[in-house]
Amino acid sequence: MNMIDIENLSFTYGGKVEALKNVSLCVKKGEWVTILGHNGSGKSTLAKLIVGLLKPQKGTIRVDGVELSERTVHDIRKKVGIVFQNPDNQFVGVTVRDDIAFGLENLRIPREEMIERIEHYAKRVDMYSYLNKEPQALSGGQKQRVAIAGILAMRTEVIIFDEATSMLDPDGRKRILSYMRKLRDDGVTVVTITHDMREAVQSDRIVVLKDGEILKADKSEDVLKDKETLEKSNLELLLPLEVLHGLEHKKSTNEEIKEFLWQLSLNG
Amino acid sequence: MNRIVIGRYIPGNSFLYRMDPRTKLIAMILLMVSVFLIQSFIHMLVALLLVALLLVFGGISVKRVYLGLRPLVFLLIFTFLFQVLFNRQGDLLYSLELHYTVLNLSIAMALVIMWGFTKRFLRFRLLYFLATVAGVFLLFHYLPFGIVLGEGTFSVYEQGLSTAFFIMVRLVIIITLSTILTITTKPTDLNLGLESILRPLRILRINAEEIAMIIAISLRYIPTLLDEANKIMLAQASRGVDFQEGKLKDKVIQVVSLLVPMFIISFQRSDDLANAMETRSFVPGQKRTRLHILHWSGLDTTALAFTCAALIGVILLRVVGW
Repeated sequence: MNMIDIENLSFTYGGKVEALKNVSLCVKKGEWVTILGHNGSGKSTLAKLIVGLLKPQKGTIRVDGVELSERTVHDIRKKVGIVFQNPDNQFVGVTVRDDIAFGLENLRIPREEMIERIEHYAKRVDMYSYLNKEPQALSGGQKQRVAIAGILAMRTEVIIFDEATSMLDPDGRKRILSYMRKLRDDGVTVVTITHDMREAVQSDRIVVLKDGEILKADKSEDVLKDKETLEKSNLELLLPLEVLHGLEHKKSTNEEIKEFLWQLSLNG
Repeated sequence: MNRIVIGRYIPGNSFLYRMDPRTKLIAMILLMVSVFLIQSFIHMLVALLLVALLLVFGGISVKRVYLGLRPLVFLLIFTFLFQVLFNRQGDLLYSLELHYTVLNLSIAMALVIMWGFTKRFLRFRLLYFLATVAGVFLLFHYLPFGIVLGEGTFSVYEQGLSTAFFIMVRLVIIITLSTILTITTKPTDLNLGLESILRPLRILRINAEEIAMIIAISLRYIPTLLDEANKIMLAQASRGVDFQEGKLKDKVIQVVSLLVPMFIISFQRSDDLANAMETRSFVPGQKRTRLHILHWSGLDTTALAFTCAALIGVILLRVVGW
């Protein structure tokens, strides 16, 4: 069963910049899909359209069988949560506790249940001991974990991560990736939007976007090995795959391999 | 910028911390009104003493309150001097003859120039400034030699001195009271209290919850924006901008170079925040459940009764004319 169904979706900013052109894709329940693309490929526009922050100009979006419209947007937001890129710009509460509570207060969850959920999900993202802390006492990674707890506490069925790890240090990134894995294992539908190949590698499926069009949508392994598609969308192969690719292309002698690896490390 | 104390909660355990934020807010307003109604010198001193007692029994360090007052010390002294120098009502208390001569004017100018050059090396700049001003006046009085260019008097009148005293003490009490409120009340509670007090405005179709949320978010983002301003200032400083010194014209340009990026960043942030709030099911004006609830206790009733008594007492004293 599909959790998200998108059909012939198009969106243009200010009638000039075409961000999305006839995009059709589906995300199954419990699946982890990565939308991969370079800056300006339309991936963040797609995320904003799914959560109803932008209105589709052409095409339809269905979440759990319900078509997104002005009438249904509030119900759909109860099913789809989103974690944005900048951890500072999504911290609404004065403390961690208040921030996790914000969505629950909006959903009119009774106070006793709210307290239970806050504590449960704060523990789940290892932020329980920080519940009374103010945002300025937290690192970027910790703030992002609070944002995740806030969405988890709302018990949405889909969580979109819109470049949620791009402003974090390596440790913070690793932690967020481990939560994404756990979420998928728990049956939550996960959509990550990124240009980071290392983030994409763990997902079930990858959709490559370029200039608002889908270039390829396939199993992660198949997309990540497809050098041609990745090059077309200004993305690079993962380093081990790049090495593998080089070795497969007639680099047989030791000297040739050494020279190839040296060139590869020079290019970062 | 990190030294700003106003609006910062400091954990504690006294009766002030146990009070309901609504009580504290209403009491603060009533006490401020009382302070403005006081007309007698002794009553004002009593009010000052009561505020000091509130600090002692409330377990709030005077140093903290001083830190809150520090940014306003210049304003307080300026107001005081302005009243003393220019209010000429009532009896004359003190008079000093001033003679402006070429000699003392030159020395005065030299003193001011010296102050301009040496102030940056000293810690107590304000005291140094006041000493320089006093020095200039003394020069005009005690060094009347040489070609006289003009004469004048420095006079202090009774009314000027008393008005200066009242304005200063009133300001000190008001700032201290508001500092006590913010030190002892968590921003969340303050916000809830404000929302609860403003709720009757619903009759006028004013949504108290929204106003409270706007205030809460503004308070929440003050440290973030200060941090941002610091970053921009550092970035500008690394490219040669000096925010400390320079001519007035340069300073205006520097402030503009700080304000423009700050405005752009603030709009960007508010846009992102609005998106984050919307996607977390926030709909303005829609009913919400609340995590925090307020508890009214006997302490609150007592505190409010005392405050009302103080206000009524001050009004009666004013009516009776004591």
